[in-house]
Amino acid sequence: MNTEPEASFEGWDPRPVDGATLAEVVEHAFDYRGDITLRLDDGRQIDGYLFNRDRDVAEPFVQVFERGEAAPLTIPYARIRAIRFTGKDTAAGNSYAAWLRLRQAAKAASGG
Amino acid sequence: MSVPISQMWTVAAYVLGQKIRKRMRYPLVLMLEPLFRCNLACAGCGKIQYPAHILKKDLSVEQCLAAVDECGAPMVSIPGGEPLMYPEIGRLARELVARRKYVYLCTNAILLKQKLEEGVFTPSKYLSFSVHMDGLREEHDEAVCREGVFDQAVAGIREALRRGFRVTTNSTLFDGVNPVQMQMFFDEMMDLGVEGMMLSPGYSYSKAPDQEHFLRRQKTNEIFSKMLSNPKRRWKFNQSPLFLQFLMGKWDFECTPWGMPAYNIFGWQRPCYLLQEGYAPSFKALMETTRWERYGHRSGNEKCKDCMVHCGYEATAVNATFASWKGLTAAARATLTGRL
Repeated sequence: MNTEPEASFEGWDPRPVDGATLAEVVEHAFDYRGDITLRLDDGRQIDGYLFNRDRDVAEPFVQVFERGEAAPLTIPYARIRAIRFTGKDTAAGNSYAAWLRLRQAAKAASGG
Repeated sequence: MSVPISQMWTVAAYVLGQKIRKRMRYPLVLMLEPLFRCNLACAGCGKIQYPAHILKKDLSVEQCLAAVDECGAPMVSIPGGEPLMYPEIGRLARELVARRKYVYLCTNAILLKQKLEEGVFTPSKYLSFSVHMDGLREEHDEAVCREGVFDQAVAGIREALRRGFRVTTNSTLFDGVNPVQMQMFFDEMMDLGVEGMMLSPGYSYSKAPDQEHFLRRQKTNEIFSKMLSNPKRRWKFNQSPLFLQFLMGKWDFECTPWGMPAYNIFGWQRPCYLLQEGYAPSFKALMETTRWERYGHRSGNEKCKDCMVHCGYEATAVNATFASWKGLTAAARATLTGRL
């Protein structure tokens, strides 16, 4: 069983973001189970969860649920200047091995 | 097999209707996820790893019903997340029953007894609680990463049955499962009085904590063959017999990911309930713009290589039942004799 901590993008701050690199970073952001921060061409910063992207359309876009907002934002790739992985990676650090260790420790503590 | 005649008839008529219209791709079950939050954090589940503000979001009942109407599938499965934590689950169930959809409310049953006592649900032939049970007490509590859940689920099942509800179980099997213990589990569920059981091998979610215990194809065939090759007459399964035979290695099916499309707060999930490769804004867009040839066992896609999960193959099995005499007679024989 693998007990090594899995790699996470948490805290990643890649820059500059443009061209092929932007598409690559967007893919990582799409796969990331934590919030990200987008900086747009007008200087605006958006904190939220990037849940969708489509680069197979005429104007590639990402979709983000901004923290505290009900409706998602759709943002063209062309407006994105930076993507930072600012939120906690909710898929990291809770491995099955860690759970087994906790469970065994709890059983030992209760004399089970 | 334990699917009620009226439900079998509805599904048969629907599938034959699709064939008459020569529709190559059609939905059979809508996987409707009104929320992602759950009161468990099972090791094999990759559905709940989201930031808190996402876990707090719900689909509205109106969004759910619009998805149901657009999709048109005769059955709706409500997984999640834990659907009994959805504030409007009673209203959603009533609306779906009124639309004569066969609803499988997939729950860990921790809250089931409480919700029944509160009068949230009314018994109906269209509504079934599909209780998550991954084995006997020790195996189940280990799978859901919390002790005591098996007993809570059993209490919920008993209460639901006492009140006249349809109750089925759904079990996800992982590597290391003991076929003999699973057979004991089947006996125990039948003793409880559930209508039928559903089985599926687990899927290796990339975000699930447990990546070590998912079944590969050959192992799946071996385990299901051991479990089901000599089934007791009293074991009832609430799923296609051809799907169970596929898990035993008796059929070579290809995945039909469009057969059980998934809708949640992000939209229509591409390509299936398990893989998250993007979202379409409508069911029509999902069906027309997803590049289906990239998915399935024969596609060469690594993510699909070992998958034999019900949401990809149960619809295939149902389609195969009505695609040839061989399929129809095999399903009829299994239904009548209980032999797989």
